[in-house]
Amino acid sequence: MNREQNSSVLHCEGLRKRFGEIEAVRGVSFEIAPGESYGLLGPNGAGKTTTISIVAGLLEADAGEVTVAGNRLTTKSVAAKAAIGFVPQDLAIYPDLTARENLSFFVKLYGLRGKANRARVKEVLEIIGLSERADDQAKKYSGGMKRRLNIGIGLLHSPKLLILDEPTVGVDPQSRNAILESVEQLSGQGMAVLYTTHYMEEAERLCDRVGIIDRGELKAEGTREELVALLGEHDKVHLTGSGHLEAAAKACAEIDAVEAASVGQESIELLVEGASAILPEILTTASSAGVTVHSVEMEEPNLEAVFLHLTGRALRD
Amino acid sequence: MKVLAIVKTELTRTFRWRANIFFLLIMPMGLILLLGVAFGNSATRIGVVEKEKGQLASQLVATLGNQPGLDTKSYDNLGSLERAVERGYVSAGLVLGSNYDQRLQAGKAVTIRYFARPDSTAPQIRVALESSVAAQGSALVAARIVHSEQGRSFKSALRRVNAVKATAPVGVSLLAAGGGKYPTGGGQFQQSASTQLLLFAFLSALNGAVWLIETRRLGVARRMLSTPSSSREIMLGIVLGRWVITLLQAAMIVFFSWLIFSVHWGDPFGTGAIILVFSLVAVGAGVLIGSLCSSAQQAGPIAMIVGLVFAAIGGSMEPLQYFPATMRKIAHITPHAWANDAFGTLLSNGGNLANVWLDVVVLGAYAAVLLTLATWRLRRVLTT
Ligand SMILES: Nc1ncnc2c1ncn2[C@@H]1O[C@H](COP(=O)(O)OP(=O)(O)OP(=O)(O)O)[C@@H](O)[C@H]1O
Ligand SMILES: [Mg+2]
Repeated sequence: MNREQNSSVLHCEGLRKRFGEIEAVRGVSFEIAPGESYGLLGPNGAGKTTTISIVAGLLEADAGEVTVAGNRLTTKSVAAKAAIGFVPQDLAIYPDLTARENLSFFVKLYGLRGKANRARVKEVLEIIGLSERADDQAKKYSGGMKRRLNIGIGLLHSPKLLILDEPTVGVDPQSRNAILESVEQLSGQGMAVLYTTHYMEEAERLCDRVGIIDRGELKAEGTREELVALLGEHDKVHLTGSGHLEAAAKACAEIDAVEAASVGQESIELLVEGASAILPEILTTASSAGVTVHSVEMEEPNLEAVFLHLTGRALRD
Repeated sequence: MKVLAIVKTELTRTFRWRANIFFLLIMPMGLILLLGVAFGNSATRIGVVEKEKGQLASQLVATLGNQPGLDTKSYDNLGSLERAVERGYVSAGLVLGSNYDQRLQAGKAVTIRYFARPDSTAPQIRVALESSVAAQGSALVAARIVHSEQGRSFKSALRRVNAVKATAPVGVSLLAAGGGKYPTGGGQFQQSASTQLLLFAFLSALNGAVWLIETRRLGVARRMLSTPSSSREIMLGIVLGRWVITLLQAAMIVFFSWLIFSVHWGDPFGTGAIILVFSLVAVGAGVLIGSLCSSAQQAGPIAMIVGLVFAAIGGSMEPLQYFPATMRKIAHITPHAWANDAFGTLLSNGGNLANVWLDVVVLGAYAAVLLTLATWRLRRVLTT
C-alpha cells in the first residue's frame, strides 16, 4: 500500500460487475481524499448505482478491490462499513414509521446507544428540517421530505464518507436546492462525499473532482478545469430548430471541424473546433438538410461538452 | 442490541396495521368461536318441566344434569318443551308431574313422561335417565325400609340414607386412555383447538413471506446491510421478529380457547416446547418463501396453498387417526403431523415433555434446515 492510498477515504481499483449479458461496470478505479467531494457523472444506465453499491458493500463485485479508510471492504465487512453513510437512489425508509422512528432504528444499527443516539436523532432532524413533522408517519410526507429523510439516515453516525446516489431525482426545485445546500454544508464541515448524478450543474457546483462514467467505464476524471481543458480549442454549439434534425446532425458531423454532433429535443449539440469561423457552414448544412433553424448559441465549454467530446453522445438525450 | 432493534421495529410496524391485528388475532379467535359453536358444545341437552319444585324432583334433575355429557334446561310448560324438542333446541324432554314428591314420600308409584327426537342420542339419554331414576329409586326403597323398621319419619329416613350413600364404597372415576386425568370440559373442542392452532400459526407465519417481500421492496432490508451490522444480526432480527409475532398469536389462541371453551392445554413444558419449535419451523418456511419469490402477488397465493395443503395432509383439518395407514406415513413429511401427534399425547393422553421429545427433535431439525436455507437465500438476494 502506498502513502496516497493510506491517506484516502476511499480507494477502488478495477471494479467489475456483470448482470448476465450486461457488463454494468467494466474496470472502474478512483480515489477520494478526506474531505473531498467527488462526483460520478454519467447518463442513465452508465453504471453509477452499480459502482456505488459495490463501494457501499451492498453488492459483491466480480473483480476489484474497495478500501475504505484503510480497511478492505466487501459485503461481509462490518467494521469498514462504519465509515460510510449510504443514501440509496430509491427511497429506503419505512413509510409506516415516523421520521423519528426511522432515524432511531437506523441509529441503533449504526451502533450508537442510549442518550447519544437520542441526541443525534434530534440533531439530524434539525439538519434535514423535519423537526416539526418528526412524529408523523413518513407516508404522509411530501416527496421532498421523504428524500430528506432518506438522506438523514445516512448522516446519523457522522460518517467519514457520505455516498449519495442521485439524491435530487424527481425532486421539486425548492427541495433540490435545499438538498444541494446541505450537501455543500456537510462537505464544508470536512465530510468526504461521493455523489452520482446525471445533472452537469450539480456535479459542477458540488464536486471538487468529477469522474465521467459511461457504459461502465470511467472515461476521464479531474477538476472541472482539468476536464474542460480536455476539450482543447473546442466550442460547444447549441442549435435549435425544427425539421429533419437527425439528417442535419449527420450532415454536420461530416464537416471536418465538427468533432461530434448529437440530437436533443428540438435541438442539435455540436462540438466544434474554432466555432466562430465554421458557424456559417454549419447553418447552411443544417438548412440544406431540411432544418429550419430558430436559434444558434455558442456555449461556454462545460462538462456536458466534455461528455460529448469523450463519448460522442449528449449527457441527456 | 441491533437484533432487538430490528425485532422491535418489526413488531411496531406489524401492529400499526389494523389488518394485521385482524388476521393475526381476531380472525383465529373468530374461527375458534365458530368451531366452538359448531362442535364445541358436545353436551346433549335435555329439557325439563317440573310442575312443582319438590325436593325429590329437583334431586332427580340435578342427578341427570351431573351425568357426563348431559345438561338440563328447564321449561315452564309442556307446550314450550314440546316445541323445543321438535325444533331440536334440546334432544329430549322430561316432564315431572305436580304430585311427584308427594306420591313418592307416601310410598306410591309415579310415572314420568319422557320423549326424545328420533336420533342417535335418544337411546343414550334414555340410559342416562334410567340410571338417574334407578339411583333415586334405590335410595327411596332403602328409606322406606328404614322408615318402616326404625319408625323414623320418611323424611328423616331419606336424609339418613342419602348421608350413607355419599360414602358409598363403589365409585366410578373417569380416566383418560393413557391413565392421565380425563379432560373435563373442552370436550370435542379439545382436539380442534390444537389442530387449528397449528393451522393458523403456520399460515400466518408463511404469510410473513409477503411482509418480508414488502420490506425488501422498500429497500430497507438492503439498507440495513450498508450499516455496520453483520448479515447474521440482520437475519436473526428478521427471523426473531416473525417468531415473536407467531408466538404471540399462538399464545392468544391458547389463552382464549382456555378462557372461553375451557380447553386444557396439558403439560405446559411439553405444549410450550411444541409451540416454540413448530412456530420456528413455520417462520423458517415463511422466510424461505419470502426470499424465493420476487413479488407479493406470487408469494401470497403460494403461502396460502402451502399453508392449507400442509394442514390438510398433516391432520389439522381431519384428525390423523382417521387416515389410512399409508396416508398417515405420508402425513409425516409435514411438520403438522408431528406436532399433531405430540398434541395428541399431551392433551388427550396426559403426556408430558418426556413423552414428546422425539416430536420436538424432529420439528427442531425441520426448523434448522429451513432457517439455514432461508437465511442463506435471503442474504443472497439482498447482495447480488
Ligand atoms: N440487478 C440488476 N440486474 C440486471 N441488470 C442490472 C441490475 N442492476 C443494474 N443493471 C444494469 O446495469 C446497467 C447499469 O445500471 P446502473 O443502475 O448502475 O446505472 P445508473 O448509472 O445508476 O443509471 P441511472 O442514472 O438510471 O440510475 C444497466 O444497464 C442496468 O440495466
Ligand atoms: Mg442509478
